[in-house]
Amino acid sequence: MGKAGSGELVQGTLPLLILRTLASGPNHGFAVARRIQQVSKEVLRVEEGSLYPALHRLEVQGWIASEWRVTENNRTAKYYRLTRAGRTQLEREATRWNAIAEAIAAVLREA
Amino acid sequence: MSAWRTLLHRIGYLSRPRRFDRQLDAELRFHIDSRADELERQGYSRSAAEAQALAEFGSRTRVAEDARAAWQFRWIEDLITDITYALRAFRRYRAFAATAVGCLALGIGANALIFSLVNAALLRPLPYPEADRIVMVRFTPPHQPDQKLGTNAGGYFFIREHSRVFERMGVLRITGFSVAVGESDSVAREWLQGGWASPGLTDVFKVQPVIGRWFRPDDTQTGVVISHGLWQRLFGGRPDVLGQTIRLDLWRGVVIGVAPEGYQTLTPDVDLWIQQPDQDLARALRSPNRLFNVFGRLRPGVTIEQAQAELRTLEHPLGEYLPMNDGWGLDVDSLREAYVGYLRQPVLVLQGAVFLLLLIACANVAGLLLAQALNRQREIGVRAALGSARDRILRQLLTEHVLLSCVAGAVGLALAWFGLRTLVNTGLSAYRDLQNVTLDWTVVGFAILISGATALVFGILPALQLSRIDVVTAIRDAGRATAGPVRSRLRDGFVVMQVALALVLLVGTGLLVRSLLRLNAVHPGINPDRLLAVQVPLPRALYANTGGNTPAGGLLVRFDSRFSDLTERMRDRFARVPGVRSVAATTPPPLGGRARRVLFRKVRSLSDDRDPWSSEWYAVTSDYFETVQLPVLEGRTFTRHDAQSSRPVVLINATLAARYFPNESPIGQELQTDILDDPPREIVGVVGDVRQDRYQASPAPQIYVPRTQLPYRMDMQMALEVLVSAFVVRADVDPAALVSPLRDAVRDIDPTLSLSSARTVEEYAAGQLQELSQYATVLGIFGALSVTLAVIGILGVMAQAVGHRANEIAIRLALGAQASNMLALLLGHGLKMIAAGIVLGLAASLMITPVIRSFLWSVTPTDTVTLALVVSGLALVALLACYVPARRALKVTSVAALRGE
Repeated sequence: MGKAGSGELVQGTLPLLILRTLASGPNHGFAVARRIQQVSKEVLRVEEGSLYPALHRLEVQGWIASEWRVTENNRTAKYYRLTRAGRTQLEREATRWNAIAEAIAAVLREA
Repeated sequence: MSAWRTLLHRIGYLSRPRRFDRQLDAELRFHIDSRADELERQGYSRSAAEAQALAEFGSRTRVAEDARAAWQFRWIEDLITDITYALRAFRRYRAFAATAVGCLALGIGANALIFSLVNAALLRPLPYPEADRIVMVRFTPPHQPDQKLGTNAGGYFFIREHSRVFERMGVLRITGFSVAVGESDSVAREWLQGGWASPGLTDVFKVQPVIGRWFRPDDTQTGVVISHGLWQRLFGGRPDVLGQTIRLDLWRGVVIGVAPEGYQTLTPDVDLWIQQPDQDLARALRSPNRLFNVFGRLRPGVTIEQAQAELRTLEHPLGEYLPMNDGWGLDVDSLREAYVGYLRQPVLVLQGAVFLLLLIACANVAGLLLAQALNRQREIGVRAALGSARDRILRQLLTEHVLLSCVAGAVGLALAWFGLRTLVNTGLSAYRDLQNVTLDWTVVGFAILISGATALVFGILPALQLSRIDVVTAIRDAGRATAGPVRSRLRDGFVVMQVALALVLLVGTGLLVRSLLRLNAVHPGINPDRLLAVQVPLPRALYANTGGNTPAGGLLVRFDSRFSDLTERMRDRFARVPGVRSVAATTPPPLGGRARRVLFRKVRSLSDDRDPWSSEWYAVTSDYFETVQLPVLEGRTFTRHDAQSSRPVVLINATLAARYFPNESPIGQELQTDILDDPPREIVGVVGDVRQDRYQASPAPQIYVPRTQLPYRMDMQMALEVLVSAFVVRADVDPAALVSPLRDAVRDIDPTLSLSSARTVEEYAAGQLQELSQYATVLGIFGALSVTLAVIGILGVMAQAVGHRANEIAIRLALGAQASNMLALLLGHGLKMIAAGIVLGLAASLMITPVIRSFLWSVTPTDTVTLALVVSGLALVALLACYVPARRALKVTSVAALRGE
């Protein structure tokens, strides 16, 4: 997993991606990683080494909350869901990110 | 908000780390299983899929650690490790830990104890709304700005009229009352201090009674507000106290209110307040007597300095308006300054003394830590070798120090608590302004603060030393106890400092003790053995207000024969009490209180153009001199024939005779005092000197007049003084046993009379020295503690010095060196430290001891005898502390050290 070159995450974007993914509904860590991969058409790959610490940091900060649930395969998994504070944070971060992305794009176009 | 939640989450984690680890493990496990499921669907066998998933995941430990880190306060975990480690170290070095805690606890405890006094006297706010706006205005006599007196009525009205800085002003006049509760005449009377309060006074303090109300200008009966203490004592705290009759001398009053606890006007022993309407005050407008204490509430925003500046401008106009105030100054002080300002210097000096003690304790512990460092070189070296960063080791050591001082702080607080209880039960009750001394949270906070500060002071140098350790030499040389030259010099420095600081404390104590000894050696001039003085204030009914004025404008009162009749009856009655040998009356009691001072000059002496002289003045009965055993040096004493109708006579003391009549016999000469209506009096005898106040450097001139020949008319102030008669009783038995029969005797004569005090003259004599002797005792205790600490320090250094030269000494001894030479070698080291400490200490003393100059009596801060005694005493003790371990070491060393090598 996470081969260099194909999909290294831009520094600091992982929490944003996690928050956005959980905005579509509660899920466990594995599914979050897979979903990011799928939606980004395999461009973005999430390493376990960063995923779980990131999830826990978000939980400590109170932007996501967790509970234990049983999956379809009859395994217990830790499901994360977005809290209200997390939703606000997502909006804030997304706005900021879009602004930066647009700015970069503008520079690339015109400079 | 988010930070707060984060903190909560982390605290939640701290409470259940195990469960967290289990859950984290399950979470990661699920991830791997899910990946394995995925691989299985792609065609892997189950076991191959699991192996592949596991491999892809990488280091589960690292992921777990990173995830866990999100939840932890790293430093708390480190701290817990450090503390565990420190506790283990203390267990290993028990003797060291106990000594260090003991030394620091003494220092911290003494500081907390004295700080509780500082807190009560100088810091804790007074219990009035916006108390910092309440001030006292006092008068200072011409050329004596330090003596602060009350004001006369005229002065008060003038200030109230002309000053703009006060929101409200009021005056209080304190007098004694013979008090009884209820209507019955058979109730025992009690002598209490009461305050006549002008209407504005309650608005100055702005404190409401806990029950009832203050006076109103339209009150028709005499309303009395009583203190909280009196309510408890006389009425048992009953809520139905309002409306009760309370009798003051011959008046009837009604209790209309109870003041809150701690309500205090001028002195805490004022137990009741009565209204004094302005029109009463106005009648005394031209009286020079300074009977009134002026209180004022400053307007918002006005500072004391501004008030002082305004009153300065009123001094001159006031002197022109009322000539008796000419030249007098006006002085504004905050209420706290007026109440307890006199305590500031003593308590701050004590706080300084205990601060020195704490410094000694710190130096001591720092020295111990340096010695300890030798033992721990190896341990620290190993830790450093295993990769502990230097700051980590430093932090570890500082944790130990903070822990030490926390334990010491707790022990110290306990010590302070016990000390305070002892102090309150013994000496402190004498200080009526220091009644509410407690170990409150301010004091606890202070103790915590100084505990933390001490940890830094004593810990930082040794910790820096130890953490800078050179790993290789540390491990190689450990156990061989080689102290680097720097470290042992540092340790010697700590000992020098301890000796120096201890010397400062001892010099201070020594000077006080020497003052005490000198004062004690002063002969009072009378024989105080089994001499009891009881004061019986006589009722005001004995004088009738003549309505006249003295030439200066004061109120005049007139006495008649009832006064001397009553005195005689009481004297006769007292003389019949079994165990009484003789009785006399005087004012005030010998050694108890300040005598009236008068001015006098020689009569009919044209050549005598000297200014009038000042003298103490006593009005006594004829057998006074025999009763107190005051020797008659020349002429005769008073007899029954010295009556109102006969020729006025006077006795003088030896000092007056020698100074005023240096070359002639005073007998037969005539004196004239400045007392109103006092006739010229013939000197009929000379008696010995009495030290009414032992602090006087030499005996004061004294004049005695017979009580039978007092002027009929007196000004109010003198009348009040004379009315509080003191009866002096020479007893055949223990004077304490006489108090109760004498009290009964007073009631026999008149049930409205009461004893206001009964003390032996020896108690009065001790009372004069009480403040100084308590001060000396407390400083002495601190001095003794400081010496103990310094001795512990010296013992430690010597033991170490002996220890690390053990091999050298043993070899020298084996090679034939004299043991005495070796002893001299070791002692030389100690001697150098002690000498350095004493020189430094003497220099510091010379700078510091002048702060106690005002407590010294005929001793200068550089008193050679004291300095010599203190220095030699300390040097002796310190040398002993060097000699004993050196001597013992020499006995053991020779064999043991060689074997050890």
